[in-house]
Parts: sequence; C-alpha cells; structure tokens
Amino acid sequence: MKANALVKIGLSQRIFGVGPQVAEKLCSKVGIYPQMRMSELTESQILSINKELNNLTIEGQLKQKINENIQLKRSIGTIAGMRHASGLPVRGQKTQNNSSTARKLNHLNRHV
Amino acid sequence: MKPSINFLARSSWKGPHLVPLPIAQAIKTGQPIRTNARSCTIIPQFVGLKFQVHNGKEYVQLDITDEMVGNKLGEFVPTRKKFTYKFSKN
Repeated sequence: MKANALVKIGLSQRIFGVGPQVAEKLCSKVGIYPQMRMSELTESQILSINKELNNLTIEGQLKQKINENIQLKRSIGTIAGMRHASGLPVRGQKTQNNSSTARKLNHLNRHV
Repeated sequence: MKPSINFLARSSWKGPHLVPLPIAQAIKTGQPIRTNARSCTIIPQFVGLKFQVHNGKEYVQLDITDEMVGNKLGEFVPTRKKFTYKFSKN
C-alpha cells in the first residue's frame, strides 16, 4: 500500500471487500483519527487492524462466496442463473446493443 | 434462503407475498397446482409439490426442491424464448 495514503483510503483501495464505509468503521473501532496516514501507523495499531480484518469475509473467502451464490442460482434453475451462464444482463436491461459490462463480468466463475 | 435480501426489498411486518393456493388438496391427491401467480413466494410447505406456472403462453411444470425456498415461482419459468437464427431458403 502507498505509505502516503490515508488509512481509510489505503485500506479500501487494496482489500477486496473493504470499501470506504467499512474502512471508516474499522478505523473508528480501532481508534485511528481520520487524517492519519499509512506511514504513521504503529505496530500495535497494525496488529489491531489485522485482528479486525480477520473477523470480516474478505478477499478469497468473499470471492468464493460470490461464486457459490451464482452457481447456486444456476443449479436450481433460476432465470438469473441462466443469464449469468450466457453472459447477459441479469436485471432486465436491454441487450440490442452495449451490455458490455455484463459480457465482461457475468460468468458462473466470476472471480477465478 | 437468504432472509436479509427479502427483508431489504419488503417490510418484514408484511411477511412473504403469498397467494391462496390449494396446497392441502395437492398434498392429498399429488396433482400439480396450476397457477398464474408468478409472484408468489415459495415457502417451506411447498417443498415436494408440483406446480404448473404460467409463462404467458402455457403452463410449465415445476418441481419444488429444498433450495428454491425464498425465491418466487416465476423465477424458474422464463417468459421469453431464446433467439436462434433460422436459415431461410432464399
């Protein structure tokens, strides 16, 4: 992570599953004031942040969970699952043109 | 089933959206329930029953399994045909 970045922003940019809101909550729980930079963190603060992060579902676990949810939808035969499998928009968007985001993201294994 | 998602969309005091269906009769006779109510939530009592859900044109057979609980009946019956290119002679 960038040493110069704010703690809130540094966490939310680098960790999958931690956005600005979760990062802000985490900072206030640990007791870091909002203007603190990454380089100013002490050892004990880093340890306590790590401890809090262990309680959340992030990174690999979260990606696996998302994949499982999509695959469950496919296996029970919902329309949403079929749309994922065919790489089309799930929530009723138009498909005559565009829908490039869906083509990019909608797969059964979304996070490989 | 994911209750949190259902609660986000709908006030919890209302409970799941249900439609009066002849369930008791279906359990006795084992015949499929023919219905147009695609927006009816699948509750645990439906598991093992057979439904015939309307897709706008005809009634499609649907067997309810354990994992379907919490979804709607219409989620399992598509209303549109998939596009396939047909070769014409000329």
